[in-house]
Amino acid sequence: MLKAGHLEVGYGAAPALWGVSIELHRGELLSVVGPNGAGKSTLINALAGLLRARSGTIELDGRDITRLAPHRFCAEGIAIVPEGRRLFATMSVLENLEIGCLLPRARARRGASLEYAIDLFPVLKDKLKAPAAALSGGQQQMVAIARALMACPRVLLLDEPSLGLSPLVVHDLFAAIRRISGEGMTILLVEQNVVTTMQIAQRVCVLEQGRIVAEGTPQALMSRPEIRRAYLGGELGPTPGAA
Amino acid sequence: MRRRSGADDTSRSVRRSIVAGILLAGAALACVPLLRLPAFYESILYLVLHWVLLATSWNILSGYAGYFSFGHGAFFGTGVYTTAVLAGKFDWPFLWTLPVAAALAALLGVALGAVVFRVRSVRGELFALLTLAVTFVLATIVLNTPIDGGPGIYLSAVPVPHLAPTQPGTFYLLALAGAVAALLIAYGVQQSRLGVGLFAIHDDEDAAEVMGVPTYRYKLVALAISCALAGLAGGVHALFISYVTTGEVFSITVPLTVVLMSVLGGTRHWAGPAVGAAAITLLLYAFTKGDLALAGKATTGAVLIAAILFMPQGIVPRLLQRRAAAQRAVAAAAPVEPGTPDALPADAAAVAATAALPSAGPGAAAARSGVDLLLRTAALTKSFSGVQALAGVDVEIRRGEILGLIGPNGSGKSTFINVVSGHFGATSGRIEFEGRAIEQLAAHRIAHAGIARTYQIPRPFAHLSVRDNVAAAAMFGGAALSSSKARAEADHWLAFAGLTAKAQALPDELNLHQRKFLELARALASRPRLVLLDEVLCGLNPAEIDSAVALIRRIRDAGTTVVFVEHVMRAVMALSDRLVVLNHGQLLAEGPAAQVMQRPDVVAAYLGSVEPC
Amino acid sequence: MTLPSATLLAQSALSGLFVGSLYGLIGLGLGLSWGLLRTINLAHFGFTFAAAYLCYQLVTSTGVDPLLTLLAIVPLFFALGCGLHWVVQRFEVSPLNSLLLTFGVTAIIEAAIQAVWSADFRRLESHYAQAKFRWGALYVPLPELITLITSLALSLAIWWLLRHTRFGKAMRAAAEDAPIAAAFGVNQRALALLLAGSCAALAAVAGVCLSLSFTLAPAQIYAWIGVVFAAVMMGGLGSALGPLVAGVVIGVSEALTMAITAPSWAPIVSFTLLIALLLLRP
Repeated sequence: MLKAGHLEVGYGAAPALWGVSIELHRGELLSVVGPNGAGKSTLINALAGLLRARSGTIELDGRDITRLAPHRFCAEGIAIVPEGRRLFATMSVLENLEIGCLLPRARARRGASLEYAIDLFPVLKDKLKAPAAALSGGQQQMVAIARALMACPRVLLLDEPSLGLSPLVVHDLFAAIRRISGEGMTILLVEQNVVTTMQIAQRVCVLEQGRIVAEGTPQALMSRPEIRRAYLGGELGPTPGAA
Repeated sequence: MRRRSGADDTSRSVRRSIVAGILLAGAALACVPLLRLPAFYESILYLVLHWVLLATSWNILSGYAGYFSFGHGAFFGTGVYTTAVLAGKFDWPFLWTLPVAAALAALLGVALGAVVFRVRSVRGELFALLTLAVTFVLATIVLNTPIDGGPGIYLSAVPVPHLAPTQPGTFYLLALAGAVAALLIAYGVQQSRLGVGLFAIHDDEDAAEVMGVPTYRYKLVALAISCALAGLAGGVHALFISYVTTGEVFSITVPLTVVLMSVLGGTRHWAGPAVGAAAITLLLYAFTKGDLALAGKATTGAVLIAAILFMPQGIVPRLLQRRAAAQRAVAAAAPVEPGTPDALPADAAAVAATAALPSAGPGAAAARSGVDLLLRTAALTKSFSGVQALAGVDVEIRRGEILGLIGPNGSGKSTFINVVSGHFGATSGRIEFEGRAIEQLAAHRIAHAGIARTYQIPRPFAHLSVRDNVAAAAMFGGAALSSSKARAEADHWLAFAGLTAKAQALPDELNLHQRKFLELARALASRPRLVLLDEVLCGLNPAEIDSAVALIRRIRDAGTTVVFVEHVMRAVMALSDRLVVLNHGQLLAEGPAAQVMQRPDVVAAYLGSVEPC
Repeated sequence: MTLPSATLLAQSALSGLFVGSLYGLIGLGLGLSWGLLRTINLAHFGFTFAAAYLCYQLVTSTGVDPLLTLLAIVPLFFALGCGLHWVVQRFEVSPLNSLLLTFGVTAIIEAAIQAVWSADFRRLESHYAQAKFRWGALYVPLPELITLITSLALSLAIWWLLRHTRFGKAMRAAAEDAPIAAAFGVNQRALALLLAGSCAALAAVAGVCLSLSFTLAPAQIYAWIGVVFAAVMMGGLGSALGPLVAGVVIGVSEALTMAITAPSWAPIVSFTLLIALLLLRP
């Protein structure tokens, strides 16, 4: 559904992605993992239109969207949940959600989208009028995800949703993500929390220093010892319970 | 592109030659009156130097520290009216009024600063506005009281001292003396510890304060110097124009023009304002003849526009850009990428070097007092507009331990670090560090006492190189080293953190991981006895976490007690000697890591369900 | 210091209200530009006065009703505002530098005004100037009333626009975090140009109102800067109603001070108020 071919993206003089090709199939949850500085955020930002690719292509359902202006990506059906939430702190929760559905197609389904968001994250029901800055980190992450869903996207991009959140909150959040995926949404998930990611992703890509070095199902990747060691760490395996 | 500021690599001989250069230029220019130029030209030259003096003086606080003041007119005006009143109304000899003018202006500045700098929220545009408002208030007071009273003050009867063959020549020489003094002072400040502190304040005042820069004092000093020079300029100018009114003196022209000139020339450089002043004054007055005055004004506007659009850093930095760019290209092309495990200092040499460090702590003092406790809080409370972030926390931190501080989101962990480091003041309760109460101390004093911290979102000084960031900490933190020793210290900690190759780079050229390690190096450079790490591992992958864990152990082994806030449970379990669990601003549990994590209430509050999701 | 009569005080307060509403009207565009576009636009004052002079010229040359000149003046300044902001966007000028850039523009405007109309005082003569209403014991001059109503109407309209329309929300979001707003479809560049043009148009309206009541001179441009900045900052950057309220507070306090003491004491009240606000506000 979403295909990136030979993407090269950089900041100033330094390139961050070297000829990255990745394919996201309709309805799947693809996870991109890799060390810090590998280019995961660069990749997701390029796919969302926040960063311009230097060369390469991005295609959505066969349509070339590489050269589109940043604000047109949303209309194409791509919505992002950015790293660090990046809510509009001075606006209320409801207003944040409304920014999600500014475009006509999403605006028409505003009521239904709002209901779905509250169903997904019931705690937000009483917080609609509250300023976004007053919510806790976990709740803000919920608003960020809901905001993206309000845009009725075809592809949902999640950039490190568990960053800075405690394990309990992360557990609930990933349950919600799993549910969204189960209902048919196409999701690209970039994460540091490799253990949990492996549990919900259908396919995993490993990005290292701007290049894809491995790709496959979680089981297939877990069985490769060097991948396991590099990304799950030395003698310390996944800690029980701390998902 | 950011220009690196100030005290980088300036050797003694370079300093001496610049000072000599300024003095020589001054001496050469002092001969100009002997040329007996027409009064018109001498007046223009006077005005150029007058504005050089004013703009340079403004820049010392506003350019270096970033506190853009629109109130320079108030201090200038104070000088003008001091001389006008003393010489015009009380018949003082003109030259004697000048030191008084400077002193009164400085006094006004310090009085203002003493109040305003205490108010944390008044910075940036608000400070600019407040200083502008002060000018208007002062003008109104002067106008309506016997100081002026309305008609203005005439100084035509005041005798001009005979320092030069002509009257304009005398003013020229006085302005020259002032300008040379201002340039020497501006250069001196930039090269000094005060200068480094001011540049740090410019980039991130709160981080600077917590690192150990006495921000309040430094700002006051810079303001006092700036105002004294402005007052001096005013005093001289009073006699030059010989008829003084509040409308003219306190108009918006002075504050706006000095900002213009400084920004045009470059606010981060001591010579920037002088260049801008000379350029604009000459431009304006080149057009004074005939009807071209309007064209002059329009041209000045056009020049300003062009400068802002094409040379936003200012003329002087732009001229120096080539050298700076070359240096940075070397650094940016550095092959080492600290993102890969290899780049982290796992090598034996670094370990050995660290182990050989003299113990950072006053081991002797501790032994004397027999106290094992490094820091103790008692009923520590912090509220933010009704919300209690910390609700009576009693925590003990033992010397030489690694203490993990954990808890759910919003439990108060970051607030705890902020309060202990002095970033925020405590609402109530006590904090004792090595037996001494520190809860009332200013943050920079807490830093001097030996506490350092990192920020979860790195806050490096954006315009200082990586090396200077760390050197600043060595200069102002607990170690309080001289600037040359500080640089050597910085190099050591950069090696420890694996950032040597990036020493000359600017912080925004580093990726997140490198910036976190810069934070770490900066915290350690002040040789703290206690270091508070706020989610240093956030964003690292498992292999990097392992390396960081090893690094933190080495820090402790070298004699620094570590308190770290973390969510990455793996690292918490691996590192911590003891754990403190906070929940809703209160202490929930405390003890050896394995024990604490078994407790059901901790598991429930923090970990939630043990089932895989 | 004898206290003047109640009528005189009330009349002073009223005239303070009027001049304050003009502060607010001038400040409206300035504050929006500063708060939502991160541009400190000193050229706003240049635009205001240029519009005032243009209105004066059109009325003097063609005898047309001053308010009708808005039809020509507003679109012109909308375009100028767009153009100026296009330059700011293109060169990515920082907020502080925008202050200096627009100062340069103002200097050019001032020189141009002086070149065309000389430094002499100019007064717009129109039938508005003579018209007055009586409200009880008080006189309400028509030009000032027009200014007040215009200021109030525009402020309320903009407030409603920002709060309740998609455009307003998009503008606020873009002001806070432009890239993320773009990720949700907000074309920040286009919206910014639209807003900048609107701010300049507001300046033009303020200029026409100004020409109705005040004598014009090129140097006057700078006389308003301090007071209007004070109103904008007191009212809050990016606020629609703030500058008006603050402007009125300043205007009334100035006028009352003038009535009770002497005109030359007028500035002290508003500025001391501002200083106190800045220092004591939490």
